Amino acid sequence: MRDDETYGDLARLFAAEDAKLEAAPFTADVMKRVRRQAMIRRLTVGAFGFLGALIALLQLPELLSAFVGVDHTVISALDLARTEISQAATRNPMWLAIIIGAALSIAAVSMTERA
Amino acid sequence: MRSDPDLAHAAAKGSEDAFAELVRRHQARVRGMARRLTGSSAQGDDIAQMTFLAAWQKIASYAGGTFSAWICAICWREFLQWRRRQKMEIEFDETAEIIPFDRPFDRSATDTETRMDLARALDSLTEAQRVCVVLCVAAGLSHREAAQVTGWPLGTVKSHVLRGVAQLRTCLANADVA
Repeated sequence: MRDDETYGDLARLFAAEDAKLEAAPFTADVMKRVRRQAMIRRLTVGAFGFLGALIALLQLPELLSAFVGVDHTVISALDLARTEISQAATRNPMWLAIIIGAALSIAAVSMTERA
Repeated sequence: MRSDPDLAHAAAKGSEDAFAELVRRHQARVRGMARRLTGSSAQGDDIAQMTFLAAWQKIASYAGGTFSAWICAICWREFLQWRRRQKMEIEFDETAEIIPFDRPFDRSATDTETRMDLARALDSLTEAQRVCVVLCVAAGLSHREAAQVTGWPLGTVKSHVLRGVAQLRTCLANADVA
């Protein structure tokens, strides 16, 4: 048995009373508040985002200078590696063959992985 | 016509039009419920507005099922918050007039005899009976849904509805005779 079978008449009475409530003004009020809330949220998120971007922008010169330092370190390390490789190769050419073999293997593996 | 879960899904993705359609569909039920619980059309409409605002914020948490039960559960929580605030205000302001919770319906806002009779008949119920009758008879929730919404045992809800409906019928019959 459905719950409302014993009081369907009363339910209809309440429903008739509710049906008289005008939907349009209430819906408009709710949606106005929903939009206002959404706008406030967007403004808050936007303001915090802008603040974050501003802070990041202010930090940029320092970040770039640090990057230049890293850049120098990487370049000097590569130079050193090249020098050491050429020294090792002049002492024993087998090193050069081993390095070329290893490099080719790594290249082959990475190409196969991408495929 | 799109179903409630479809509209809720679209609203969860940010569609204000879909949410507006849900408000249009369920406003009468929610306003009726809030008005009958508070006994005031103005406060009832305020609670109904808060209910839909909360629903908009939580729409992503709607996990299917009967949308009316979901929205009525939010309305019930908003009503409890409102009642807590009312009690706190009364306790805070010791000089304020002590207004009992189950005060008579705001009769200035009623315009037909049927509304008067229904409001009067609801006033004659105990608070628990009125809550169960409002949820099950007026808002159309099943006993199980009403039990979930209120957190009361199913048997308790059923017996409150049964007694409340009997009392309502008696009151309405007396009003007809008078």
